[in-house]
Amino acid sequence: MSRQRFSIWLILAVAVALLWTFLPMYWTVKYAFMTKSEIASFPPLAFPPAPQLASFFNIFGFDYTLADGTVIPASGQARQIMLGLRNSLIVSLIVTTITMFVVMPVAYVFARLEFAGRGKLLAAILLSVSLPPVSTLIPFYALYVQLQLVGTITGLVIVTLTITIPIVVWMLMGFFRNLPPIEQLARIDGFSRLYTFARIIVPMARSGVLVAALIAFLFAWNEYVYAQVLVTGSQAVTLPAAMSGFLFQVPEPAHLAASLLISLLPPFFIAFFLQRHIAEMNLV
Amino acid sequence: MNGSSAGPSRSSEPAPHGTARPRRELSDLQFALAVTVPVLLFLLVVVAYPLGYALYMSVHDIRFFGGYSAQFVGFENYAEVLGDDAFWRALGLTVHFTVATVLLGLLIGLGLAIVLRDLPPGWTWLRALIILPWAVSPYGTGIFFAYLGRGQTGVGTALASALGFDQDINFISANWVIEYLAFGNAWNMAPLVAFFLLANMLTIPKRLYHLAELDRMNRFERFWHVTLPPLRFTLFVFSCILTVLALKTFDFIFTQTQGGPGNASSVLTYLIYRISFVNLNLGYGAAMSFFLLLLILAMTGALFFFWGRKVSRR
Repeated sequence: MSRQRFSIWLILAVAVALLWTFLPMYWTVKYAFMTKSEIASFPPLAFPPAPQLASFFNIFGFDYTLADGTVIPASGQARQIMLGLRNSLIVSLIVTTITMFVVMPVAYVFARLEFAGRGKLLAAILLSVSLPPVSTLIPFYALYVQLQLVGTITGLVIVTLTITIPIVVWMLMGFFRNLPPIEQLARIDGFSRLYTFARIIVPMARSGVLVAALIAFLFAWNEYVYAQVLVTGSQAVTLPAAMSGFLFQVPEPAHLAASLLISLLPPFFIAFFLQRHIAEMNLV
Repeated sequence: MNGSSAGPSRSSEPAPHGTARPRRELSDLQFALAVTVPVLLFLLVVVAYPLGYALYMSVHDIRFFGGYSAQFVGFENYAEVLGDDAFWRALGLTVHFTVATVLLGLLIGLGLAIVLRDLPPGWTWLRALIILPWAVSPYGTGIFFAYLGRGQTGVGTALASALGFDQDINFISANWVIEYLAFGNAWNMAPLVAFFLLANMLTIPKRLYHLAELDRMNRFERFWHVTLPPLRFTLFVFSCILTVLALKTFDFIFTQTQGGPGNASSVLTYLIYRISFVNLNLGYGAAMSFFLLLLILAMTGALFFFWGRKVSRR
């Protein structure tokens, strides 16, 4: 039902949709370009009066000199932010890789084969999607204290896998289910199951696999609850946990906004890419 | 695996492992077990262990002061939860927040889907912008809506002063905080809902709209009788997804209001966090978290019972 041109109402609707999408982000992100006193002014300013990039230098450990000669000193948490950026990348990449390797065969089996107990296993996976992290936090913490995994990247990877694996199984299942039933043909041609899966099914499902991998990355990158408890203040701190220092201990809206903006870039690239493919996911 | 290590000395032999011999095939069940069991074991360990441990804690009185001690108390913690006013209050807030999130998420998602559908050709790149809020993490959304809604820094106050009023407009006030939180949660999730609804809408045959025009349906009737029916299954699935996500939400509320003002937004997850991590009353917190799990199962079960059974996949 695409129309040929804009009507007044459609322009209005698009404007509202864009305002709805961007206003909440803009309102915080603008702080990244403002000074402390500008942020504190009342009534609140809708636009940065003199936009500058001090916060972005500060959070990476550099002083910044404004045009009038005032020096804005580097943030004391710069080391944490840089460490967090690095760790977030490492954790997300490892989690994505492991998730995909482990989940592809599982999702395939659930989607294409009939076997006893399939329904129950599926129910168990969906149940683990609905477990609230607050109720699993303490057991994980207690376990990790014993295994000496608190404050380690390994520990965070394991716990993040418990989030990504069930979700990605669920997403990929729908994708595999919709592929043409090619297995019988492959089997008649004498290919083994594993060969059929690795060389025929996975390449056919390429776009779905890519989408699932990006979603796994997104979930790992955005994980905060476990990170806050397990790795805050340690060498394994991730970006969200490092950033929360600007939110709670000594509120620094400008630095918070700058690091939040940086943390949003990978998800935005992913979303931008995914928007064409997202409805192929058969979540539904 | 072993076949590849066969040395050149083997090649002179009449090849008992040769390609001519048919491979032993696995049955469906064996193949399924071979690939799923390792993953399921992992999930079992990392999901069942925390649940089991939580169950253990919930029937013990765990103390840290004066040395760690865990004393078996049976179902005392559970009974105490049921008699706790704070629990019932938090339960009410949780249900309120969840219902508001689902309604706003579906309605706004539907609205966005219609706008995206009606974009003229050449303007469909706008879809790539509308999806962006979905990629924002819950803690990021919490931060955004905290600054957006607070009287001191918020858009309401800025707007009021631009219009000449000298007054704070604070959305994060005891009266509105739950609705405001639901609004923020809907901002985060509505784009995903919209994209799935849009995909459904694009499969509706144009013929149906022509027929509707012949029947002289007005815009609203066309929406109600032609557009909406094929969307019902997607709407049902997303009402389940939004319900579970809203009931589980913690980081979004943690960064936005910390349960405040006062305890006006202290939903169950937040209350459990306070009890377990601030008061260190682990047994009691664990018992309460099982009531939360029960609530999640009950609400999704009820959704399925009253709605899901009536809508089919196609």
